[in-house]
Amino acid sequence: MLIHILRYKILSYIKSTFDRRFVSIVRGTASLFVFGGFAYIAYLFALEATSFMLDHTHTGLYLLHTFISMMLFVFFIAVNLGNIIVSYSTLYRSMEVKFLLTKPIPFIHIFILKFLDNFFYSSTTLFLGAFMMLLGYGSYFGYSIYYLVGVMFFVFVPFMFLSASLAVLILMTIMKLAGRIGFRKVLAGLFAIYLLFTYIFFDLSNPTKLIENLNRFIPNMDAYIAQSIPEFLHYLPNQWVAEFLYYSARNDMANALPYVGILLTVTAIVFGVCLIVAHRFYYRSWLISLKVQPAVQGSAERKHFFDFRSRSMFSTQIEVLLKKEILIFFRETSQWLHLVIMLILTGLFSISASHINLMRVHVLDMHLITYLVLYAFGGFMVGALALRFVFPLIGLEGQAFWSLRTGPIKQSKIFMVKFIIGFLPVFIIAEYIAISSNIPFIKVTGASYLLLWFGIFSSFWISLTTVALNLGFGGYFANYFEHNPIRAASTQGATLTFLITIIYLVIILALVFMPISAYFTKAFMSRNSPIISIETAGVLFAVISCLLSAFGLIIGLRSIRRDF
Amino acid sequence: MIELKGVTKKFGNLTAVDNLTLSIPQGEFFGFLGPNGAGKTTTIKMIVGLFAPTSGSIVVNDYNIQSHPIEAKQSIGYVPDIPFLYEKLTGREFLYLIGGLFNIPKMVLNKRISELIEHFEIGDWVDKRTEDYSQGMKQRITIAAALIHHPKAIIIDEPLIGLDPRSAKIVRETLHHQSKNGVSILMSTHSLAFAEELCDRIGIINNGRLVMCDTREQLQIQKARYDGKFESVFLEVTKQ
Repeated sequence: MLIHILRYKILSYIKSTFDRRFVSIVRGTASLFVFGGFAYIAYLFALEATSFMLDHTHTGLYLLHTFISMMLFVFFIAVNLGNIIVSYSTLYRSMEVKFLLTKPIPFIHIFILKFLDNFFYSSTTLFLGAFMMLLGYGSYFGYSIYYLVGVMFFVFVPFMFLSASLAVLILMTIMKLAGRIGFRKVLAGLFAIYLLFTYIFFDLSNPTKLIENLNRFIPNMDAYIAQSIPEFLHYLPNQWVAEFLYYSARNDMANALPYVGILLTVTAIVFGVCLIVAHRFYYRSWLISLKVQPAVQGSAERKHFFDFRSRSMFSTQIEVLLKKEILIFFRETSQWLHLVIMLILTGLFSISASHINLMRVHVLDMHLITYLVLYAFGGFMVGALALRFVFPLIGLEGQAFWSLRTGPIKQSKIFMVKFIIGFLPVFIIAEYIAISSNIPFIKVTGASYLLLWFGIFSSFWISLTTVALNLGFGGYFANYFEHNPIRAASTQGATLTFLITIIYLVIILALVFMPISAYFTKAFMSRNSPIISIETAGVLFAVISCLLSAFGLIIGLRSIRRDF
Repeated sequence: MIELKGVTKKFGNLTAVDNLTLSIPQGEFFGFLGPNGAGKTTTIKMIVGLFAPTSGSIVVNDYNIQSHPIEAKQSIGYVPDIPFLYEKLTGREFLYLIGGLFNIPKMVLNKRISELIEHFEIGDWVDKRTEDYSQGMKQRITIAAALIHHPKAIIIDEPLIGLDPRSAKIVRETLHHQSKNGVSILMSTHSLAFAEELCDRIGIINNGRLVMCDTREQLQIQKARYDGKFESVFLEVTKQ
């Protein structure tokens, strides 16, 4: 039965992916170029970063893998949280599940189908990114491609699979508890547990503390670092992967392979437990989800601030469109929950960035690198926010879009309301990131506000461009049958848009690199540099952003005028 | 008044509607019939502005839907074949949304929505989210939304889908009443009996072409040629 359904799902996937129409071929070719570019950038980044850490800054091998372990922890949590949110939609809300439940198919088969669908569908780009990073890292050590493919399949895929299996186990627990104590309480509790766990992890593995401790062992830091790693970290899967990579890099396979064994065994056990729980509880939890949904809605029927009956300062059409967007957003659990998570991550990033102490650092390159890393990361956060929340805005109208399309309202007005709804929050968050990440540089440049103003200026243009691109391409690639915002934000079109955003950010970064470098040279070494000023780069930046924004807006506007 | 002149709609090599000319004067109840895939919904979608015609022109109450879409849509009430609603909004919120799009002042809208809720017997369901609605309840909300601005033309695609007998009766009476009050109605349906009972004129479309367009009286003559049943006339004209 399972194989039978899988065969048709694969057939459907192949037919929709390898469409022979001209438009699809052009779209596919463009995607191939952009994905290829993304893959190459990921490869180069990993190769250069490994080379920089080991050759330029002489970070030891173990310390490098400690940092890799931290990144893998973040990756594990991200995959885990992402899977909880997406699985809720695929396992409990999808029409396909409703259809399959009416057929004589064992519940466990439906569960496996949707679990695999969820895991492979939403992780395709992650697989590509992870493999290219691995390739870049492995190229530094001269590993063969066969070896790296093996590492991908036997280490990284199980690592992600473990994270996804845990996510589904947690989700079924949530459903069970939600039936007893309420959905909101369970979510709040879970959220607190995740925050606490992340805090404990980073508190115990704090890189600053780690390096301060290790300073006692100079010049043999790397030899002693293993002793400084807290015991509990050794029980985490990210540490197993990092330890495997570390021992592989030392060509010590006798110590490396047991970690793969542990990872595979634990993954198999967790997936097995997941299947047992699903066998006994999936259908019952699906029934609970039907009860939980109306309970979640309870408060919506009370009169509230965005009630359509209340008066408003806006024109009638704008008012109803704004209220509709806001109400629909906050009544979709996966939307507000994901927003809260992203806001907390942004908050953590901003607080950490504003507390960076550069006063003790006397290396000019470090100021420049820190500035560019914060600048790029800020841009990346804005791009991620726009992708997740702005890209699906038009597609999520769904089949109900007929009601707006047949109304006596200009399509451009509908589009502009969506643009404003997307732009304002992204812009405010972008400004917050820009201001907080520029605080350390105000101190270090002797209270000069030039970089702060440049950050504010940059975040305006970056938010404008990323929102315009995501809204426009979101309209162009809109799938009005997709109700799940997370799936909508992880489609091929969404990935393509994100890669275009990344290319835009790379161009901007290349544009500001020289003037910022010159600025730091002048600020610290009192030397004038004959290169372009920040102001000139800013003008170029604005022109590029303007052109791209206009391109995105035109595409979006045209797309919502298409036949519906 | 709804007027279509030489309207054609092509999707690639497929001609869904082929040179369709049709005029529905004010107050006429026009039944639009045809087999599945004949071009009924495509025609309707072109009239309400969801599809752009490949050629030809569509005028609704003196406004061309392509060149003056806002003015044309201002006088149309549209009910689609499947009543898709915003699932996270309540029925009342959906009605306010549509009323707002038509720029109806809030005081007027409050009263109008109360009337419609009562007329369509929506009751307490109006304050529940539409994701919990049955097909019939969604259909009632959609029809109520189409009437909210007192349209001069109603375009309704398969109005009886999912309706229980009581709801069907309300819809039938409402449409009849609207037509008597001078509203032009274009109704697509598969129910021959329903069309025969309500419509002043019936058109049958097949393979994108209008193959029959008769008044009720003319239809009686046509029926007499066969076995006295509308079904036989329908099957004959849509044979190819």
